Amino acid sequence: MGPARLLNGVGRLYLGLVLFFLYAPIVVMAAMSVNRSPFYQLPIDFSTTWYEQLWSNDTLLDAAWNSVWIACVTTAIATTLGSLAAIAFRRYRFRGRTTLFVLLFPPIAIPWLITGTAMLIFFFVLGIGRGAPAVLLGHVALALPYVIIVVMARLQSLPPELEEAARSLGAGPWRVLRSVTLPWIAPGVIAGALFAFAVSFDQFVVSYFLAEPGDSTLPVEIYSAIRKGFTPEINAISTIIIVISMGVMLGAARLARFGGTR
Amino acid sequence: MAEVAVAGLTKLYGRVPALDDVTLRFADGSFFGLLGPSGSGKTTLLRAIAGFVFVDRGTVAIGGAPVERVPVERREIGMVFQNYALFPNMTVADNVGFGLTVRGVRGADLKRRVDEVLELVQLTDLGGRRPQALSGGQRQRVALARAIVTRPRVLLLDEPLSALDKALRLDMQIELRRIQREVGITTIFVTHDQEEALTLSDRIGILRDGRLVQEGPPQQVYARPASRFAATFLGDANVFAGRPAADGFRLTDGTALPLADDACPGAPPAVVAVRPEEIRVVASGAPVPDGWPALPAVAGDRVFAGSVATHFFRWQDQTVRVLSKGAELAAVQPGDPVHLAWPPTATMPLPADG
Repeated sequence: MGPARLLNGVGRLYLGLVLFFLYAPIVVMAAMSVNRSPFYQLPIDFSTTWYEQLWSNDTLLDAAWNSVWIACVTTAIATTLGSLAAIAFRRYRFRGRTTLFVLLFPPIAIPWLITGTAMLIFFFVLGIGRGAPAVLLGHVALALPYVIIVVMARLQSLPPELEEAARSLGAGPWRVLRSVTLPWIAPGVIAGALFAFAVSFDQFVVSYFLAEPGDSTLPVEIYSAIRKGFTPEINAISTIIIVISMGVMLGAARLARFGGTR
Repeated sequence: MAEVAVAGLTKLYGRVPALDDVTLRFADGSFFGLLGPSGSGKTTLLRAIAGFVFVDRGTVAIGGAPVERVPVERREIGMVFQNYALFPNMTVADNVGFGLTVRGVRGADLKRRVDEVLELVQLTDLGGRRPQALSGGQRQRVALARAIVTRPRVLLLDEPLSALDKALRLDMQIELRRIQREVGITTIFVTHDQEEALTLSDRIGILRDGRLVQEGPPQQVYARPASRFAATFLGDANVFAGRPAADGFRLTDGTALPLADDACPGAPPAVVAVRPEEIRVVASGAPVPDGWPALPAVAGDRVFAGSVATHFFRWQDQTVRVLSKGAELAAVQPGDPVHLAWPPTATMPLPADG
């Protein structure tokens, strides 16, 4: 075996290990969600009993529904505002532009635990308190920097002559935006939307602080369910969510042609 | 179609003027070449006419009406960019029809006008393609078609041929001229390629450091440059130092050059220049045509370039370039003593300039 082939072997092993540690837990979880035994006994005795029980677990289903709609609304708001902000950053040279741009990055680095505490205090001072509006505000604020940064990255590759050409042909600012800018940045907007959705849907810390008992989200509910005692229903709902989110991600990746040039 | 006029146009970037008091008229239907080294302000001038650059002083008028306060999209211009700037998310037909769609032209009318202009640029069957699937020359034609389909009052071309290879470029020059004549549109054309400017333009303007150095028909600017810069920038020129004398101009070695009376109006000449193609090489001792100045020189290297060859001669401590057809001077060997002679009218007296 030559050194090149040895290296090749090491590379494959490395890749295998990465994929294994990423996906094995998920596979185990999915497998256990269809195992009749609540104590993870092997061999697997196939059954859909946990899915049936999940169907009658209103707390988990409500939480799942909350998570979905909050994530969807967050995505819509953060993607719209973030994309517009990115376009403004490119189009206008205003005072404090650089400062504002630099201020986008710290929220990504500040631990969510701290952001969450700060938001809780702030919302109480403002009188917003806890509840769905607070959760929504918090999620949008967390997701915005991701959207702006991703869309701006895409905008950087837009040749300025393209917008100038449209203007020279008689297109006003809105027409330029609709016919040239938006089609160009569409992959970035989609990627930004995915980030926004993920930030919201995955969100535990900020949701935990800001949600009232009635409108808590799935991660919060799963956490308290585990504290009370783990049931395989959680495997079931997690598996459903994994299947749906992987489907969405793969679809979006195809649409946005990640890693490929247009 | 319209006349374009700029007056006193000044644009500062910081304290450096990109345009410095430029006044120019572009006659209705003419083809005007703006020429200059990079950083001379030629693109800034074009973009000021288009409306992408807001000038600090001066006026821009299209068709007699001032347009300084008119935004680009309402100036009714057509522009072709250096990299074509075709919309990648649209087909060729949609690219070409964009300006019409924006103006509310729809349906059969839109299709007819797009087809018409695609035929004009000889791309009739490519309407359904994406720009990415076209060759450089085809993209260039699409960009041109897109710019003229709206029948703009002025067509602005920003180095439109610089991305093409040489053979295609010559074809496109002829094509561009044909289309411009057919449409009869006032065209302003920026290039750093002097040959291109000479080939295409009715008039040319040479810019340097934001100032207009000279303007006129290409033959005139070439034959009677107004400055040393114009002489050496547009074409090649051998520049000889010396001083003005009663009988014309005297070179440093005392050779007297007669000058035509109208050769250098205004300031007395500081130097004279002679185009390499004007100089005849005469064997030492052979007769020189009557009245022609002749400099004793020694033959040096030569560079053969197919149809023409450049020969280098040594006169005093200066190298003189002579352009000959093909093998015309093949017999001249390095080291041969010769005389370099030229008709008196080929002496171009030039004022001192920066």
